[in-house]
Amino acid sequence: MQITKEKNGNALTISVSGRVDTVTAPELEKFINENIDGVTDLVLDLKEMNYTSSAGLRIILKTQKLMNKQGVMKIVNVQSDVMEVFEMTGFVDIMTIE
Amino acid sequence: MIIKLSGRIDSSNAAETEAKIAEQIGAFDGEIVLDAGELEYISSAGLRVILRLKKSNASTKVINCNSEVYEIFDMTGFTEMMEISKAYRNVSVEGCEVIGEGANGIVYRTDPDTIVKVYKNPDSLEEIHNERELARKAFVMGIPTAIPYDVVRVGNLYGSVFELLSAKSFAKLINEGVDVGELAKQSVEILKTMHSTELKPGELPDKKKESLKWVGFTSKQLPEEIGAKLTSLFDDIPDTNNMLHGDFHVKNIMQQNGENLLIDMDTLSMGHPIYELAAVFAAYVGFSCVNKFNAQEFLGIKKEACDKFWSYTLLYYFDGKDEDFRRSVENMAAIICYTRLTRWFMTKKDPNDEYVKSVIEFCKNYLCENVPKTDKLYF
Repeated sequence: MQITKEKNGNALTISVSGRVDTVTAPELEKFINENIDGVTDLVLDLKEMNYTSSAGLRIILKTQKLMNKQGVMKIVNVQSDVMEVFEMTGFVDIMTIE
Repeated sequence: MIIKLSGRIDSSNAAETEAKIAEQIGAFDGEIVLDAGELEYISSAGLRVILRLKKSNASTKVINCNSEVYEIFDMTGFTEMMEISKAYRNVSVEGCEVIGEGANGIVYRTDPDTIVKVYKNPDSLEEIHNERELARKAFVMGIPTAIPYDVVRVGNLYGSVFELLSAKSFAKLINEGVDVGELAKQSVEILKTMHSTELKPGELPDKKKESLKWVGFTSKQLPEEIGAKLTSLFDDIPDTNNMLHGDFHVKNIMQQNGENLLIDMDTLSMGHPIYELAAVFAAYVGFSCVNKFNAQEFLGIKKEACDKFWSYTLLYYFDGKDEDFRRSVENMAAIICYTRLTRWFMTKKDPNDEYVKSVIEFCKNYLCENVPKTDKLYF
């Protein structure tokens, strides 16, 4: 898993690539926690993410809850396998996915 | 009603297929589920058969489509018009660690953070779907709970996939010395999140309807005047659509990385929050009204902790209200609880058992003494 960010004022884009699972998820969580202060527009770019386990979903969910309080969040460029997971778990109903 | 479709449906056999389906349905007017597990191809003539079915019975849905058949439904817009689902994924549990076994299924760990509950009964598909729908509904509505995945095929059985929580129950935390008041406070936050979730009529089972069964039975076991008063108290509980958990206690609240999550969503219902408080009262106080070791056996925490958890639940739920108000709500919860318990013990337990007799007597005494003094069962 690799994570990169691009910050523009209060807008932040986090791009995640590779696999997010129980091993790599804590790193993603730490990264988000360290960068999310004051962010009002968060974009998660998942173009290069080819797998997420529920550990990854749990972090996305936590981040969504946090952003509900301080701004907006959207998820973009979701690969079809990951999209299928978002659909079956109900994530598509609770998040903005483009 | 489940109807199986198989082979090819095209202009050569569409009429015949339609007649066969009509014959199976007869006068039935409930939900029609078309199982497309063995359907290989469907042409426009076949699609029109399904369209007519859908028109005459709005609840018609198609399940178990292979990917080609699903694509046909998708391309033609059928997937937007009605519920159409793909075939179940096949999951193997060979060599997977067994992490639990219950009366109706075995729970396997399929990867580091997912579990699959495999149901022993191969005909339990409907029940599995109901349970999963409830879990999904709760999840999507923002109730903190394990992430529900899909229903899968495991050999010739069905399974339900969930996120594996690496969590400790509140019962365990209490036994490890975590402050009961603090945990009760956190549990009330979850309760309030649930109760402030309003549903549409019919979206979940109606708790009031169920409660009228309890009072219908129990009122007949009491002196006439008291039974009549009890019935009218139950009748007067307002019909509201608040989400209720139904089995809310320290073994069903889990903590994972500082986040609290609820499990056991299969008793989800809707109604006035007093029904929930009555069930909470039952778990901590009511079930152990005669034998204080019951609560300990059932919840795994000492009776003193149960009593404390209950009074803190009231305290935090009714933040800012005075002691008298809380006592009055406790009495409402107790009346509903003992009405339910009277029926449960009289219909489900050995009536000659001394313990059963003493519980029934306790419940009836409570009702006889307190129903005349009570003017409503809601807040």
